[in-house]
Amino acid sequence: MSGDYAPLAHGIGGRQDLPVPLETAILAAVAALVISFVVLAWTVRRRDDAPQDVSPTVSTDGGSRMTSAPSGRTVGWLGRLVDSVAWMVVMRCVGMLLLAYTAMVAIFGKDLETNPIFGIFYIWWWVGIVFASLLLGPVWRTVSPVRTINAAIDRLRGDSGANDGAGLFDYDETRFGYWPAIVGLFAFTWMELIYTHNSYLGPVRLWIALYLAAMLIGGQLWGSRFYAYADPFEVYSSLMAKLSVWGRDDEDRLVLRTPLANLATLAPRRGLVAVVAVLFGTIVFDSFRDSVPWLKFTQGDNVIAHHAYLADNLALFLFPAAVAAFFCLGTMLTGVGDDLDRRHLPGLLAPSMVPIVAGYVVAHYLSYFWEGGQATLIQASDPFGNGSNWFGTGDWSVSFFFAYHPTALANIKVLAVVIGHILGVVSSHQRAVAVLPRRHLVTGQIPLLITMIGFTVGGLYLLFAA
Amino acid sequence: MATTAAVLGTAVLLTGCGSSDNTADNGSDGSASSPKVINVTFSGNSVTPNGDRVDVARGQKVEFVVKADAAGEIHVHSTPEKELEYDAGTTELTVGPFDTPGLIEVESHALDKTIVQLQVK
Repeated sequence: MSGDYAPLAHGIGGRQDLPVPLETAILAAVAALVISFVVLAWTVRRRDDAPQDVSPTVSTDGGSRMTSAPSGRTVGWLGRLVDSVAWMVVMRCVGMLLLAYTAMVAIFGKDLETNPIFGIFYIWWWVGIVFASLLLGPVWRTVSPVRTINAAIDRLRGDSGANDGAGLFDYDETRFGYWPAIVGLFAFTWMELIYTHNSYLGPVRLWIALYLAAMLIGGQLWGSRFYAYADPFEVYSSLMAKLSVWGRDDEDRLVLRTPLANLATLAPRRGLVAVVAVLFGTIVFDSFRDSVPWLKFTQGDNVIAHHAYLADNLALFLFPAAVAAFFCLGTMLTGVGDDLDRRHLPGLLAPSMVPIVAGYVVAHYLSYFWEGGQATLIQASDPFGNGSNWFGTGDWSVSFFFAYHPTALANIKVLAVVIGHILGVVSSHQRAVAVLPRRHLVTGQIPLLITMIGFTVGGLYLLFAA
Repeated sequence: MATTAAVLGTAVLLTGCGSSDNTADNGSDGSASSPKVINVTFSGNSVTPNGDRVDVARGQKVEFVVKADAAGEIHVHSTPEKELEYDAGTTELTVGPFDTPGLIEVESHALDKTIVQLQVK
């Protein structure tokens, strides 16, 4: 061994997954295609059976016709538990302890790769939130330390919680919708994917500080409702939670539902298309830039290669913009009745993109979360790099299960993408039935179906190529 | 119900067919005993190869024969990551063997360029 080995001080990404085999990707693409048209054929039959008086009224505030939540099965004892004060206090404490630990390693930890701050920031927080929310429901809303601190400030101001976390102003969600969260989502993905010093302590610490400041000021100005629309993590988490089995009925009781029924309760708000496009577009960009043709192009001798950093910055915006453009085109290319404005369609149908995003996120991040999540847990026992073992996890070793089972991993990835696609197509069908005029029901769905097939096949291609 | 059936049906279909694993060995010099030799040439602001993918067998070492006009270092993004220094002139650097399958990027951080992606399988 003639090489001089030295552990690197910085860098979060190590070995990556092998590409998905071509035949698996093609098979999945064909499955997605077939299922899409089966769902469409199903629509044709349903249209013929449908009652004649389906003429939807769509309110301009973005509320869909599906206002009455599907009931689902109530789980009394569990509902009473998660709505109890004790549970709330425990969850708030969990969130505050996580924040306290993160602040500790951010302020007093070493600027080294072994500092758990990087894993906490990029893996536990950003990726873990997706897996946790898909399984458990809106977790970030429950533990969010910014909500806890905001409530504590209210309390100190003498606001005894009587007016339920109201701020100085009313947050106008029909006007601003999710747009504030989009700023945060872009800020995070820029940090994760573009910024060259993203594995140094200083920038990560600064990012977290700015996030906390923005959230606490926002919470005081617009009340706790601000977080549901402006906290990028809460928006991400609550969107993914709509694919979990945990929902709330009209009387706010905990119910068990199928993910599709749960997704049907997602009220489209202004900016939802943009949220979904940013989440999907940035991950697609992340996959795309690792593909060999693009890599060779950006390292070659051409104008883009000479301004690679600028090109990366632009691409971070252009990819979501392209996703949004395709989606808007796909939803608006339909006949509409007199009482339906074409421009409302992207927003009304945007919830159907959520499963496609979730499927691709799972495919993209599964092994990274598995390995990186464990590595972070091990590092967390030794926050200051002095050999201590706080939680007894310090001497664990990472299980590389997925790396040693590349076929299983590839199958899980394409399955996640295809299941996401199926749920998306069925959900868009259900929404189309509720939204589109009856005579345009079948033809109106075709452009959207083609768009969704395009997203899914594109995603599968990138799993194969990158 | 129909949806659930469709989801489950696809699940069975995909896992069933996808498991026909491609165990064929990689290229001609893919035997695990001899190291994979990769010639790397640094010249000013450019490096060859330029982001190519190279198949490496599990348990095979990789030998970079680096010809450079100035000293520098290459970063191997395996887990854990490695940093290899080279001098001006010709330097031979050996890494591996890699036991875990996966894609490993080999980069020059000074040039901010990916030299090769090692495809370990």
